[in-house]
Amino acid sequence: MTPIITVPWDEEHKLPGLQSQAIKRCFPVDREIVVNEVSFVRKCIATDTSQYDLWGKLICSNFKISFITDDPMPLQRFHYRNLLLGEHDVPLTCIEQIVTVNDHKRKQKVLGPNQKLKFNPTELIIYCKDFRIVRFRFDESGPESAKKVCLAIAHYSQPTDLQLLFAFEYVGKKYHNSGGSGAVGGSNQKTPFFETYSDWDREIKRTGASGWRVCSINEGYMISTCLPEYFVVPSSLADQDLKIFSHSFVGRRMPLWCWSHSNGSALVRMALIKDVLQQRKIDQRICNAITKSHPQRSDVYKSDLDKTLPNIQEIQAAFVKLKQLCVNEPFEETEEKWLSSLENTRWLEYVRAFLKHSAELVYILESRHLSVVLQEEEGRDLSCIVASLVQVMLDPHFRTITGFQSLIQKEWVMAGYQFLDRCNHLKRSEKESPLFLLFLDATWQLLEQYPAAFEFSETYLAVLYDSTRISLFGTFLFNSPHQRVKQSTEFAISKNIQLGDEKGLKFPSVWDWSLQFTAKDRTLFHNPLYIGKSTPCIQNGSVKSFKRTKKSYSSTLRGMPGSLRNGIISDPDLVPRRNSLILKAKPDPPPPPTSQDHGAEQYFREWFSKPADLHGVILPHVSGTHVKLWKLCYFRWVPEAQIHLGGFITAFHKLSLLADEVDALSRTLRQHRAGSLDAGHAGPDESRMYFRVSAHATPGTPDFLSSAFPFSPVGNLCRRSISGTPLSKFLSGAKIWLSTETLANED
Amino acid sequence: MVNITVIFSLQSLFLVGCVPGCLKICANVMSFLLTPLFHFQTSRDGVNWDLSEAVPRLPGETRITDKEVIYICPFNGPIKGRVYITNYRLYLRSLETDSALILDVPLGVISRIEKMGGATSRGENSYGLDITCKDMRNLRFALKQEGHSRRDMFEILTRYAFPLAHSLPIFAFLNEEKFNVDGWTVYNPVEEYRRQGLPNHHWRITFINKCYELCDTYPALLVVPYRASDDDLRRVATFRSRNRIPVLSWIHPENKTVIVRCSQPLVGMSGKRNKDDEKYLDVIRETNRQISKLTIYDARPNVNAVANKATGGGYESDDAYHNAELFFLDIHNIHVMRESLKKVKDIVYPNVEESHWLSSLESTHWLEHIKLVLTGAIQVADRVSSGKSSVLVHCSDGWDRTAQLTSLAMLMLDSFYRSIEGFEILVQKEWISFGHKFASRIGHGDKNHADADRSPIFLQFIDCVWQMSKQFPTAFEFNERFLITILDHLYSCRFGTFLYNCESAREKQKVTERTVSLWSLINSNKDKFKNPFYTKEINRVLYPVASMRHLELWVNYYIRWNPRINVPHP
Repeated sequence: MTPIITVPWDEEHKLPGLQSQAIKRCFPVDREIVVNEVSFVRKCIATDTSQYDLWGKLICSNFKISFITDDPMPLQRFHYRNLLLGEHDVPLTCIEQIVTVNDHKRKQKVLGPNQKLKFNPTELIIYCKDFRIVRFRFDESGPESAKKVCLAIAHYSQPTDLQLLFAFEYVGKKYHNSGGSGAVGGSNQKTPFFETYSDWDREIKRTGASGWRVCSINEGYMISTCLPEYFVVPSSLADQDLKIFSHSFVGRRMPLWCWSHSNGSALVRMALIKDVLQQRKIDQRICNAITKSHPQRSDVYKSDLDKTLPNIQEIQAAFVKLKQLCVNEPFEETEEKWLSSLENTRWLEYVRAFLKHSAELVYILESRHLSVVLQEEEGRDLSCIVASLVQVMLDPHFRTITGFQSLIQKEWVMAGYQFLDRCNHLKRSEKESPLFLLFLDATWQLLEQYPAAFEFSETYLAVLYDSTRISLFGTFLFNSPHQRVKQSTEFAISKNIQLGDEKGLKFPSVWDWSLQFTAKDRTLFHNPLYIGKSTPCIQNGSVKSFKRTKKSYSSTLRGMPGSLRNGIISDPDLVPRRNSLILKAKPDPPPPPTSQDHGAEQYFREWFSKPADLHGVILPHVSGTHVKLWKLCYFRWVPEAQIHLGGFITAFHKLSLLADEVDALSRTLRQHRAGSLDAGHAGPDESRMYFRVSAHATPGTPDFLSSAFPFSPVGNLCRRSISGTPLSKFLSGAKIWLSTETLANED
Repeated sequence: MVNITVIFSLQSLFLVGCVPGCLKICANVMSFLLTPLFHFQTSRDGVNWDLSEAVPRLPGETRITDKEVIYICPFNGPIKGRVYITNYRLYLRSLETDSALILDVPLGVISRIEKMGGATSRGENSYGLDITCKDMRNLRFALKQEGHSRRDMFEILTRYAFPLAHSLPIFAFLNEEKFNVDGWTVYNPVEEYRRQGLPNHHWRITFINKCYELCDTYPALLVVPYRASDDDLRRVATFRSRNRIPVLSWIHPENKTVIVRCSQPLVGMSGKRNKDDEKYLDVIRETNRQISKLTIYDARPNVNAVANKATGGGYESDDAYHNAELFFLDIHNIHVMRESLKKVKDIVYPNVEESHWLSSLESTHWLEHIKLVLTGAIQVADRVSSGKSSVLVHCSDGWDRTAQLTSLAMLMLDSFYRSIEGFEILVQKEWISFGHKFASRIGHGDKNHADADRSPIFLQFIDCVWQMSKQFPTAFEFNERFLITILDHLYSCRFGTFLYNCESAREKQKVTERTVSLWSLINSNKDKFKNPFYTKEINRVLYPVASMRHLELWVNYYIRWNPRINVPHP
């Protein structure tokens, strides 16, 4: 009958032992409350032996599961950590399934949110959405406390209401503390959120889109609750017409402009027209308007995504199979048939399908000069992937970190991708589907094929994926911008928070990476291979920063990357020649194709026969030999799959040292040239690189590197040797939210 | 590559001078990123291009004939061109204005020439020649039907592609190329053994095989236990297939465990024993005091080893060799490997099997074989590196799977072999000098394309090296191009390096005097073959992960002829 005492973490739970000041400062997260805890828990590290197991305390808070080891020495031999999460922590939103086991009674139970447990668990297995499987043993802990922690985890990780997610608690506290608006975030946000009129206006200007305007008829979500307040439409369509048309679209999702090519072709996405009688007429009006917005009055090309691409259920099924294959099944047993099993998941096939289709649309936009309309029933699922991929391929801006983030804001967050349902934060949705992951995977394929074309690294992509599972941030929490406003306003009212003139609570943004990582750790997001437009170039002894002309992503400048043209490298051998075995590169590129029957195939062949301009269009190789499994993302927790002191990270390391060296030299050179008094002064630490040249470090690859870096498989994948629970047996949770009292009384 | 720390410490002194040096490193890295790997066919290495001439020609290369043909390109359709045939190559230049196609194929690459169509066959381009190459491609030429126009092309090609059947010399003996370094001096066995710290108290160098009378397929110089006399060696030789006695390949610099290679014991159906052989193996074990058992890795599958008893071979039984433990590594024989590679070709040439690529690849079993070879080599390396025991490796004759295992294990154990020259020494030592039958396996200048002795064992080894270089991108001084160049000249017959089956045959033919070494070409042009990410490390053992999750088909080699698959970067 003892109620669970909730205690603010920082008062009662000082971290044991020799934790550094830095860790204390950022831990715990504000407003994090310990729900329940149990001591003398053993965390299993290896499947076959208990000799490496760790002893400690298992804690369930309203944000995460923590495991505080008795021995304060971290397992990881490198210092890369999430400021919100300890080495062994799992955010509640990252939990997929909770399995309790009693060895003696040979019982096992998948714990839903509102369930009783008739046995005292000897073991707890947490299946995580990020492919981890963590196991705890309770042999030495109090059986009642162990059971309570298990129930608490089941309870808090499977909330029935959005407002019970930690972000609300967190942001509410922030508002209370600051006593007013503008409480959270706002620091150095370079990433446009596309919440305002001006963000869209800037994007129109950036792409040089004439014939398009920002429309504000949805202010206050008066027209549609799944559209942003501001979006871009053809200039020739009046607000009044749009209002009328909107009724005919599914979800009232009328055409939304995504992006314009420098040749004037636009990329547009829209839902289906459900009104059969009006269909033809409205369709015609819309298409005419889009044509009018094209400087050459080109036709519109419509792409029906529902008919050409796998649907969300198929993608989810593929993902479940992929996960099953990568982490659940025993490593050795899957070796023999690995390739065909991987093929059977169809995951790679789907990644290819999206890349291929997006590349075909690039051809339409770029070569046939036609505007493209993406059509999909609701226009907020497959459209997000395709619209984003097309832009990543066409516009080098979206291959920078800020650009990529703005793309996700624009085509996912603001466009009403249903993160809440698709990520299944509330664990009860039949709508779960990893479309966002599929987009990151497809982006990774491009990064893999054009490693110098992206400002970010694959670590960035993996960390971004993980961030969708941290319920502190508002970015990936909602089904639409309107849902954020509505839910948080309700929440504010219930908590007596004064919102002032703000539209809903401002949640922390994922793009504020300083909330998760130190500045040093964030440098790991930077790809040292990136040949950026702002790369300083030393020419004739002076430092130049060369800028890309506004339209250099058009096909005309394709040839050498800017950096080469600007004279860093004069060796003519470096001019890349593809296909020189069969088709020698012709001296002059053929004039851009004008005729409409110029086939996509020929466009691709021609494109691939020339060296890629990394600041121009990049197209994916989509053959089965090129589309690969994203090993860092899917194998990072699999100990057997780690290449110790190997993997791409070792090349990344070497390259970082070289880049750091060049940076240091050019800094010194700059000071030297400037002839200032402090010429000898090394200046502030402004390295872009995670790995740096240091005088005392021994040369060579650091011992802690492995192909999983910066993730650690140690203790993060502990399959049960007997009776593992297949994820397919996942039970969806009951809808009743237990009070803590009920939970405590459950015996 | 320039030493970074040196630059760093000198930067204040030689600042301006150093920046270009540093940028050069970046230039290397960038060229690595941007330079595609597909110039091989039109490789100009060492070739004198006379601008006034249409065809590149090596010194000593002579023009035989030329002819107008239609090249049936599997990717771009028929292309009219002129083919030039020399005593070294087949060279085709497109005659069509909109195609700059060039084919440059050393005749040594040709495995088979067939006539297609007859004088009466109908249909466009149905009459001509179909050429099967050893490097994963076929070439088709259509000729005019009138006047048996293909007859002399067929005869000339047959003559020069298969010189052995026509009492003609292999081109390597006619090649008059000169390089500023002599590749034949790269490998000096005495120096290499000295590098390993040999001879020492336990191991001696013996000249017993100086004139190849102990074993005609072994090198002249061998390293054997100090305590084994030359007479002992002769007696052991009688009990080992083709007299290939256990000799040292590599010794661990610290724990002094060794890798020893040999052929199978001649046990036979009756289960013969040989006291000298048993004692010899014990002597090997005793060169390292701490070791209680010698580990024997028989590369074959267990059943194959048993089956070999029928032909007089076999394996070391427990009761005869008390102080040894034997493991089978399940690597299949040359015939299985040949068939597997054939299947790979079927799914990649001319068209890549797209619809079920991964399961098609799986059905070739090629990667599975690679996995078994690597797994075997890892076990050998692990035994030795941990100091658990010395290792003896054999298969049947000890010149195919054994060479793969010892050389790969040595590559994992000894970072020296991961440099360009070190790798050349490794190939020269474990493959060439120890009698991997290159002539039989490749069939240099031989017309018998169906010879059962042919097998891609060396290619498989290079593939394993490539797999390792993929997993450890900074561990090797050489790049992918280096490996592909080696494979190209494995067949080309331009160099003497891979000719003949063993050292004694090479000596008889005076190969080092009469031909050029491939290493001359490579070492006089090293920059082209360097890996910009190379980080020199000493005493680091590489353990690749021999899992299907990491093994990949080497697309840049096996599918390099397909312009739709080629990749712009490695």
